[in-house]
Amino acid sequence: MDRNPIFESFIADQGYALFEYLGNGAFRAIGNSSEWCEKMWGAGKGHEKTLRLADESPFLENFLVDAEGFWNSNRPGGATSGVWIERGPGSSETPLEATALRLEGKPVLVIHNLAGTYAERQKLFQTARDSLLEHERLIREIQKKEILLHCIVHDLSQPLSAMRGCFNILSLEKLSGDVKRMVETGQRESHRQEQMIRGILEAFSGDLAAQQSPAPEAAGGASLAASAQRVVQELSPAFQDKGIRLRLDPALDVSRESNVVGDASRLERIFGNLLENAMRYTPKGSAVTVGIEEEGPFLLAFVDDEGPGLPPDASADRLFALFAKGKDRPGKAGLGLYFCRITVERWGGKIGAETRKSGGSRFWFRLPRATKILPERKPELAAPAEKPRFVAAERRPAAVARLRAGKSPRRLNILLAEDTDVNRELVIELLHKRGHTVVAAENGRQALAALAKERFDVVLMDEQMPEMDGLEATRAIRAQEASSGKHQIIIGLTGNVTHEDNERRIEAGMDGFLAKPFDMHVLFQTVESPPRGIDRAAAAHVVPAQAALAPPAEGVAEHLWRTTAGNEKLIRSLVKSFLADAPKKFSGIRRAVSQKNAEKLASAAHALKGAMGIFGAQKAVAAARNLEAMGRAGNLQDAAAEFRALEEELHHLTRNLLALQAESKRAAKLPAKPHRPAPRSRRKR
Amino acid sequence: MLQKKVCMLGSFSVGKTSLVRRFVESIFSEAYHTSIGVKVDKKVVRLDGQDITLVLWDIHGEDIFQKLQISYLRGMSGYLLVADGTRRQTLEDALALSNRVTETMGKIPAVLVLNKNDLVDQWEIEPQRESQLAESGWSIFRSSARTGEHVEDVFASLALSMLKK
Repeated sequence: MDRNPIFESFIADQGYALFEYLGNGAFRAIGNSSEWCEKMWGAGKGHEKTLRLADESPFLENFLVDAEGFWNSNRPGGATSGVWIERGPGSSETPLEATALRLEGKPVLVIHNLAGTYAERQKLFQTARDSLLEHERLIREIQKKEILLHCIVHDLSQPLSAMRGCFNILSLEKLSGDVKRMVETGQRESHRQEQMIRGILEAFSGDLAAQQSPAPEAAGGASLAASAQRVVQELSPAFQDKGIRLRLDPALDVSRESNVVGDASRLERIFGNLLENAMRYTPKGSAVTVGIEEEGPFLLAFVDDEGPGLPPDASADRLFALFAKGKDRPGKAGLGLYFCRITVERWGGKIGAETRKSGGSRFWFRLPRATKILPERKPELAAPAEKPRFVAAERRPAAVARLRAGKSPRRLNILLAEDTDVNRELVIELLHKRGHTVVAAENGRQALAALAKERFDVVLMDEQMPEMDGLEATRAIRAQEASSGKHQIIIGLTGNVTHEDNERRIEAGMDGFLAKPFDMHVLFQTVESPPRGIDRAAAAHVVPAQAALAPPAEGVAEHLWRTTAGNEKLIRSLVKSFLADAPKKFSGIRRAVSQKNAEKLASAAHALKGAMGIFGAQKAVAAARNLEAMGRAGNLQDAAAEFRALEEELHHLTRNLLALQAESKRAAKLPAKPHRPAPRSRRKR
Repeated sequence: MLQKKVCMLGSFSVGKTSLVRRFVESIFSEAYHTSIGVKVDKKVVRLDGQDITLVLWDIHGEDIFQKLQISYLRGMSGYLLVADGTRRQTLEDALALSNRVTETMGKIPAVLVLNKNDLVDQWEIEPQRESQLAESGWSIFRSSARTGEHVEDVFASLALSMLKK
């Protein structure tokens, strides 16, 4: 080769070293190699001796196979080694990359020193990988929280189911005016509590949901005026109690079309939250006005109060932030206005607040008009002409709750699979009173056995059950139907109502689901006009409820008396079955912990948790819940400590129940009347 | 002296480089420095009265930025399949990688290393999964490059498997 000193210097300066391959592992340096090359392999300037690079570097030894493969082929281009770090004298490390080329018909190996660019490249990779690791970490955090959230939601749903069931049963009785009103209050308040629980979780899940805008369920639109009117009607009594007048703006024409992007139940909750906020700040004797104004392609809804106006330092951002609370008269968790903001923004709207010139404040939200106008929903859903959409009970029109209860026109044979005793007994009681016959099963396996023996009009299937859960049982039923061509109506009973949960139900083959706690009217409507298939769009954004509601400070006897509406027979039966079953369930947990079996631990802890929840044993339930969450997360590191806490709490509960049972035997009455909590009402007798 | 090529395989940030450094130099660095490309180290170990040079190929972790070049594995006598016990997915990715290796090169001695055992509170790999893998024939170690736990054992176990083959 003719030598060109300038060109050779340039090549060396750029960090390249060139070697001609002589065959049999031997190389000869071409031109002026770089200093690094000389230090590493003694192949420096003017060096003419033959080098055996494969002996110097294990990496090059390996690459030489690929390089020879290339030189012996007719392939165009070259073969590249990829980056490697070559150790040199004094433990120095040099990033290199080799390329086999054919130049002037000769096999040439080019080795490039990447020291100049390697650091930058590594920095880029490092940043990208750090971001990936952080992303993975956040996802894991979210997953862990979701598991805990689901456990809590499920726990909260169970006692609420019992309470609502008791009120529902009571409401079917012939009651005097006073008692009837009290039962109605109980029904209304338990419904309100359910809404609050859902609202809190929805607020937590809202950030995620907000990424999908507008939400699918909102696309059809809902009437802003009708929602305002309904909420004003519903909340007027509460405002009256406080001496505040709640009214619709006289300028509002309710009959005029006012459909906006959104869905009615959430619109009503937005109005409800804004009005509850107004109620806290409006002085007695003043008025709160709800109205709507037209703004081109938008409608603006407002709630005007006659309070002190907004504090000078209050910005809209702060007012509608998560956990924002007023200083003087704080509300509850600081989630109400946050829920309003994320919901309105998700629908493509805006929300704000300001002090009115005439005094007081105005809270407003602006929503785009719906492009597709749907017929306004009927105020009552008394006739089964419209098939209900079987999504969570709270999403059903409120009017359903006002359906008249009574005997069903058609007697149905219903299979109920539910592992929690108290819930099972309550649902049976309700369905019996409605005139239906019920066969009960405690798990999916028993349900399958019952289905093999007789025909049922509807199957109500709890999702989380021991031995075989509801989804698994549903899949088994659907698999059997593949040959028979029949279709069994299966309605899921669940405390988990996220989009993912719903997808699982659809995949398993359920026809619908009822979110616990459910109203008896919704239960009746569901079994008497069963759906065929879950409405994906409608259920897509239902989220479960979560809240850390303080448990009532009461003993086990008082708790049982309250949750069963004083049904002594039921209490006796519950205590007896718990004392018989709990040791087995507890042994299951002990085994799972000692065997470090996460799956079994989750299932065993879930079973005992449900059973203990009936007795209001909050600490024991919390310990079981934690064990269940550990099992689901597959992290049993703290399981032994939590197990000991559960053991202690269970011992405490068992002792109380045994005492209760003994007392009951003595008095032939359980719980003894003196255990009833003193009435808290200040009403004169 | 007998020489055996050993490759370190696994996802990024599972601790392959740290395991090699701990084994070869008895050093552990808290800072994570991502690897690009390949680094080759050597260490002589004595097994059954015999000195063996382990030529350790620390190959960059696989991810969307860098894929494994199968040519790096040429001449390999055994490999350490490394997963991060605090990241469940890295185990599944490692097993998928191992399947690719077996498809290309046939059955080769290997040891599965569940690294970062010092972070037990963040451990994500269920004991059942571990038992299942052990039953399917994997030789499994829980190790920690930070504390040095089982690091020597991991390499010794692989060296023994390679010698027996």
